[in-house]
Amino acid sequence: MEAFLGGLAILADPYVMLMVLLGTVLGIFVGALPGISGSTTIALMLPMTITMGPIASICFLGAIYCAANFGGSITAILVNAPGDPSASATALEGFKMAEKGQAGLALGISAIASAIGGIVSVVVLIVAAPALARSAYSFGPPEYFALALFGLSMCAAIGGDSPVKNLIAAAFGLLLATVGMDLTTGVERFAFGITELSDGIGFVPVLIGLFAVGEMLDQAANRHGKAEIVSLEAARVPGRAEMRKCWRSIWLGSGIGTFIGALPALGATTAALIGYNETRRWSKHKEEFGHGSIEGVAGPEAANNAAVGGSMVPTLALGIPGSATTAIILAGLIVQGVRPGPHLFNEQPTLLYAVFASMLAANIFYLVMGLSMARLFARISLIPPAFLWPAVFVLSVIGAYGPNQSMGDVYVMLAAGVVGFLFRRTGFSPAPLIMGLVLGGMVEETLKQSLIIFGDDLSGFLQRPIALVLFAITAAGLGWPLVARLTRVARAA
Amino acid sequence: MTHAGVGGGTDITVRMMMVQAPAEFGQEFTVVNRTAGSGAQALQYLASKPADGHTLLLVTQTHLLSMLRNRSLPQMSDLIPVARATEDPMLVLVRRDSPLRGPDELMSAGRARSLRFGGTHVGGVDHVAIFAFGRAAGFQQPTLVPFRGGGEIVINLVGGNIDTALVNPAEAEAQLRSGEVRPLMVLSERRLPSLPDVPTGKELGINSTAATVRGYCVLKGTPEDRVARLEQGLIRAMESGVYKDYLRNTGQSPDSVTGRQAWGAQLTSFFEEGREALTALGLLR
Repeated sequence: MEAFLGGLAILADPYVMLMVLLGTVLGIFVGALPGISGSTTIALMLPMTITMGPIASICFLGAIYCAANFGGSITAILVNAPGDPSASATALEGFKMAEKGQAGLALGISAIASAIGGIVSVVVLIVAAPALARSAYSFGPPEYFALALFGLSMCAAIGGDSPVKNLIAAAFGLLLATVGMDLTTGVERFAFGITELSDGIGFVPVLIGLFAVGEMLDQAANRHGKAEIVSLEAARVPGRAEMRKCWRSIWLGSGIGTFIGALPALGATTAALIGYNETRRWSKHKEEFGHGSIEGVAGPEAANNAAVGGSMVPTLALGIPGSATTAIILAGLIVQGVRPGPHLFNEQPTLLYAVFASMLAANIFYLVMGLSMARLFARISLIPPAFLWPAVFVLSVIGAYGPNQSMGDVYVMLAAGVVGFLFRRTGFSPAPLIMGLVLGGMVEETLKQSLIIFGDDLSGFLQRPIALVLFAITAAGLGWPLVARLTRVARAA
Repeated sequence: MTHAGVGGGTDITVRMMMVQAPAEFGQEFTVVNRTAGSGAQALQYLASKPADGHTLLLVTQTHLLSMLRNRSLPQMSDLIPVARATEDPMLVLVRRDSPLRGPDELMSAGRARSLRFGGTHVGGVDHVAIFAFGRAAGFQQPTLVPFRGGGEIVINLVGGNIDTALVNPAEAEAQLRSGEVRPLMVLSERRLPSLPDVPTGKELGINSTAATVRGYCVLKGTPEDRVARLEQGLIRAMESGVYKDYLRNTGQSPDSVTGRQAWGAQLTSFFEEGREALTALGLLR
């Protein structure tokens, strides 16, 4: 407790507070720009933080990390171009809301859900980090296989006109996930000797193409320009009624996000996708999903920001990063001479609590900024398409090129744009494709790893209780609609 | 110019060197990350630039294996080694309650059955190191369980999914300190200052060393006086306080920084080792 108060006291230091504030503003800004992700920014800032001293530097980097995850949702909602990969699930419902003229509502709920998710995960981090970190050791390839399968099992239900179309899109995503060097054989697949494809198809360019460029082509093809007047509704922010509606999805997203974030191999993007699935599954208003559901924004936003706190668990308690961004923060800590690990909780609790306190502060900062600027940002959705979309296209090209400085990624992005356009015209949804691409590689990889570990004996799964429980939940989720229908038929008869 | 993504260990090595280098050379430095194809794209990028010493490539073992597997890339003979930046020796680790209590148990188990080693992808740097270690120790062909990186390898080692692994000390720092993993030996010429009780492989009669090394190279054809100037300047830049702290804090050998002679010899010997391993593993056409 003493250490906790000591940590809070550090926030009274104006220099540290200034760093947290700077980090938050920078984080929102880079998060909103497609192509500059939080992890890139933190890597670029790292050499500058060396002279800051351990506490100020970790507070600064932590604030960027928290805020970038929220910033990604701004462009996802307004122009359907997720600024950060973890905001892709937010774009699914958020952009639909903006189209309906509810941009302010979507931005507002995103800020609130993100902040609650972030704060919940930091509280869990304070109370249970060492205990939660131990669970990472119980998750080997068989358990990740079962978890990824659970995520994939929902792909027929999300997005699109019909389950069949969703399955087709998901299968296409799975196919894309096989491109590139295979971990277990060292052989390149479907790369056709193209160097740029040998590491697989990048997630970011596909995302930008599918959402932003696909949307642009679709709008360009509408010859009758939609000269609709969007009312002032666009600037409305969420009130009590919306909050009541979203409460359940925010808690659900926060819980899922914290847990998934704490698993070293899974990050905010997976957390947001599974958060979206589960929000839909437990929602009382399923029919709104796919047409701009406010719950569908709240759930994944809470999940991806909760994953931020979650991913700090293995980073600080085990010295093993839970995401690309925490890997860089870890490097920053080590350069400062701070050695993460279980002993950190006994030896340097003040530093630890300073980190937690600064993350809490960053969450509150962007909540205030997000809410107060939501009205302003929402007006972006009122810009006429003829001006807005060319600008989005330029941003998309930069966004695809940026992370790897690779023209190959730009071509992938453009191709994905055409796919996204055709998807819209034929009633397919990009959501299952993304699930297939994100989780497909993991399902394949972890299954192969499991089989190597078990000596090619499938019965090895029977000795993994966690995997068995996850398999059972998956089976129940898949079987329940069938059982429900059978009982209804039986009752009717 | 590096093949690694922004923020990885290799990328940070470059950025740490650059803290001091601009003052040393009176020149601005920028990092170019060309990540595709395990170093292939980085090599092609270097070859596309004039041989004037203004483009430095941070070469790792990964580049050498990519060269071996793709003969159309620039080869060793197209590069001039300049200076080594880091040398990070590998430990042979087991988990705390492993039945492989000490080096003797490891040796007899390795001869009796195929041990499961954690490593990066098949045909990668770890695979070559594991192959060379297994052969020097007289093991049965080890089974490689491939993972995405050092962190995952350590977690699966503690979780009991693999028997053992070759890991850099920094990657398992927290687990070494808490005793969740035990080092059986270090695969370097000398014992590590941080782990003075851990014997080297050579002391135990295993004639094999393994380390993650990184160093700078320029394109063949760069004038000799520029190479000499670069060698001198880079070494001085890497003797700065910031860089020394970086090496110490990440548990890398303090003798990491060395000139082109030692660095070139090491590249050549690793190239040969890689060729033998990949041929024996049937991964080289």
